[in-house]
Amino acid sequence: MNLKELISELKNKYRVLDEKFNDPNHTFVSIVPDQLHAALGELKSYGWKHLSTISCVDWIDDNEFELVYHLWNWDSRSQISLKTRISRSNPHFPTIMHIFPTAKYYERDIHEFFGVEFDGNSEMEPLFLEFWDDIPPMRKDFDPLKYSREKFGERDYKVPFADFIVEEGDQK
Amino acid sequence: MDRKMSPETRSALEKLADWFRARSIWMLHYCTGCGAVELPPSMTSRFDMERFGIGPMATPRQADVLLITGYLATKTLRRVIYTYEQMQTPKYVIGFGSCTINGGIYYDSYNVITRLDLYLPVDIYIAGCMPRPEAILTAFNKLREMIEKGEANGWKRYEENKEWYRANQLKALNGEVYVTR
Repeated sequence: MNLKELISELKNKYRVLDEKFNDPNHTFVSIVPDQLHAALGELKSYGWKHLSTISCVDWIDDNEFELVYHLWNWDSRSQISLKTRISRSNPHFPTIMHIFPTAKYYERDIHEFFGVEFDGNSEMEPLFLEFWDDIPPMRKDFDPLKYSREKFGERDYKVPFADFIVEEGDQK
Repeated sequence: MDRKMSPETRSALEKLADWFRARSIWMLHYCTGCGAVELPPSMTSRFDMERFGIGPMATPRQADVLLITGYLATKTLRRVIYTYEQMQTPKYVIGFGSCTINGGIYYDSYNVITRLDLYLPVDIYIAGCMPRPEAILTAFNKLREMIEKGEANGWKRYEENKEWYRANQLKALNGEVYVTR
């Protein structure tokens, strides 16, 4: 089954909101959240059985998180990225560990950096950060510069040649 | 903090010891950032560090110099502090590249420190991103001079100002320096 056929089949069975080809071997498909698990299971049975990663996008203006599940097919060498949007104010989503067991760590990672809770995944303690004390750092409303200045300080220094270059430019 | 202790406070025996120390420097291989790629050319035949008596050492307890080769994430900083405290005195710290000086390209990162000298007593900084082997050898020769004159006393500063360093470490590491996991 190639990607084009797959998309038309997905469109028949599920509520596909949007689909876009990135290149002939890679496509993005947006789907409603409650049908995502069924679609993932079906894709796995068609050969897209390698979960490369799960990524998360913070659409702060829409007040939504977008979860992107990247699946790879080793036989047809094509990638499909299933996207779904969940609420940002109370980010909860059921785990996909029963379909792809490797999702355990990707979900843990997203929980740590975006604060999305994955129901059914038992291991949700921090994976990388030690004693983190602020909101999850990959959220758009987290200000890394402000955090860095407060926590790690700032060195006061002057670059001597920068003024000279600016002055010369002003004279012209 | 008094950066330079007057050399006259050293006894004749210490002066002799420093003379020897300057001629046999073992540097610890704890490569924290990308600056470590400049060390193989510095050590091997083209630039040949060993002609100055500088060699690599695998363990902290036998090493004299701790090289911080690039950026330090807070998680790495914790391990660097363990490593530094395991080293036996006299011990020296070299900050490598702009990341250790002002954060470099990580100036606004949520988990990379911007100033190494808040947490460890840095004897000498090498500017650059990354510094060339020539700069590294210049820094090492400067360090040798400083050791011989008794000026490279960062380890004494660390002991004298332990509370100040510890407070900074606790601030960056969110309240806990030693963890078991």
